[in-house]
Amino acid sequence: MPREAEPSLNERAFVVQALQEGLRVDGRAFDQYRQLELKFGEQYGVADVTLGKTRILVKVSAEVTTPYTDRPFDGIFTITTELSPMASPAFEVNRPTETEVLLSRLLEKTVRRSNALDTESLCLVAGQKCWSIRVDLHVLSHDGNLIDVSCFAVVAALRHFRKPDTSIEGGHLTVYTPAEREPVPLSWLHSPFCVTFSFYGEGEITILDANLLEEQLRVSSCTISLNRHGEICQIAKLGGTPVEAATLLQCASVALNKVKEFSTLLDQKLAEDAKRRNKGGLLAELSAENER
Amino acid sequence: MTVNSEPEALLSHLQNADGSATFSFSGYTVVGAVNGPIEVQRRDELPEEAAVDVIVRPAAGVGGTRERHLESLIQSTLRQIILVDNFPRTLIQIILQVTTTPENEYVNAKVAQATSNLPILPALLQTAVLSLLSAALPLTATLTSTSLAVVADGQSKKVVLNPSPREIETSQSFHVFSFTSHDELILAESEGSFTVKEWDEAFSVAQRQCCPPTNTDDGDTLMDDGSLPGANLKQFIRSTLEGKIASDLHWK
Repeated sequence: MPREAEPSLNERAFVVQALQEGLRVDGRAFDQYRQLELKFGEQYGVADVTLGKTRILVKVSAEVTTPYTDRPFDGIFTITTELSPMASPAFEVNRPTETEVLLSRLLEKTVRRSNALDTESLCLVAGQKCWSIRVDLHVLSHDGNLIDVSCFAVVAALRHFRKPDTSIEGGHLTVYTPAEREPVPLSWLHSPFCVTFSFYGEGEITILDANLLEEQLRVSSCTISLNRHGEICQIAKLGGTPVEAATLLQCASVALNKVKEFSTLLDQKLAEDAKRRNKGGLLAELSAENER
Repeated sequence: MTVNSEPEALLSHLQNADGSATFSFSGYTVVGAVNGPIEVQRRDELPEEAAVDVIVRPAAGVGGTRERHLESLIQSTLRQIILVDNFPRTLIQIILQVTTTPENEYVNAKVAQATSNLPILPALLQTAVLSLLSAALPLTATLTSTSLAVVADGQSKKVVLNPSPREIETSQSFHVFSFTSHDELILAESEGSFTVKEWDEAFSVAQRQCCPPTNTDDGDTLMDDGSLPGANLKQFIRSTLEGKIASDLHWK
């Protein structure tokens, strides 16, 4: 299989020197993200996110299954990331690369293990029936910063998703189709987002949202996941050159600002989409969901 | 959910693939990418021609037998139209990512659906052809494909072109036909129970749909020229490519 083209020596020297002089090749500021765009699909739970030339599509689906025997009160929640050769010919089918493994582990830690989705609410009949929520992440185009975009797309799709309404009468479970009852949203607890920092030089140069070229040249990177209340879910700095503790503290505060921006953007897009779907304000009457 | 009756396509929009296309028609949307000719793995290498590798990925869930079946159908079809002899000992990789399938409001969707494989086939083939064209790989011909269902209508039976999921569910048989741009039949897949006469009827409807008579600009408009209502896919491929080439060659 072909390898990813590595940047040439000249490119390497040029980009690194430019960074040392305070410039980025695409003219952005060091803490500036590329244009982030989010589109929801016609169906519930489909999010299409583009950040510059990186494009990710996420689809959420739900079905009723039996829960794991050791966790009878929990539903099942899985995130699947499989990088196809569509993103780059260097990715092979059925052979996970390091990028893919790291991406799925980070998403697992950020979204699943931070309890963003309340899995207990997915339980229908203890030990017998539960919802299985499945998130499929497709990378359509890879131009750096997969982690931040993926996390944003996964959170957006999950918050947009509606699962079929159910009722239990006398131990008999009924799952309603969309034609019978309006689907209901998931029980969502908080929205964590990832912010990845790339370091250059001796670790003194810090940039946000590196593109593929910058990603190939960085000396180390650090991903911080947190929600807009400043609660940190995880920090991952996997090897690379050491970075001063003060820099990391500064990174955390920059990350908080970025996460607040992501949060606002997502809330705004969700509100727009809800308004678009709720033509004539009839959705509230269709819903059989109770107020919490 | 609204289903678009007009086909839509977007060419060369993915930056890392050699060629790419998004195609949507009758509720299906497929993103396709083509890489090639690229290095082939030793065990797949063919000494006298290019290996064609098709990967079909569903929107939700991992691919199973249903995707493998579609892959084998598409692979054997595309091998016929790609000039594989021109690129010995290489690989032409075609990735087809399904993004939207039409939803049935009356049924709850399941991840591993044990439904029929065929309804998505025309959209996959069309995307593959558009992606190959976008990757500028030499082809002997392009393809147009269509799907038909034979539905019982009282005593008689009627042929429905581009049927909806609901119509497929209630149909007696379902057929997919593909024709090359030289009006030759290249793929015929059928399922359900049907007679030879019904198949012939479906075939002639598909032929009229996929191989419309080339427009003669003599000013005479034939009122009943036998063409069917619905999208003229052959014309669609031409106009999409014309638009793409015009914008590529536009002096900047």
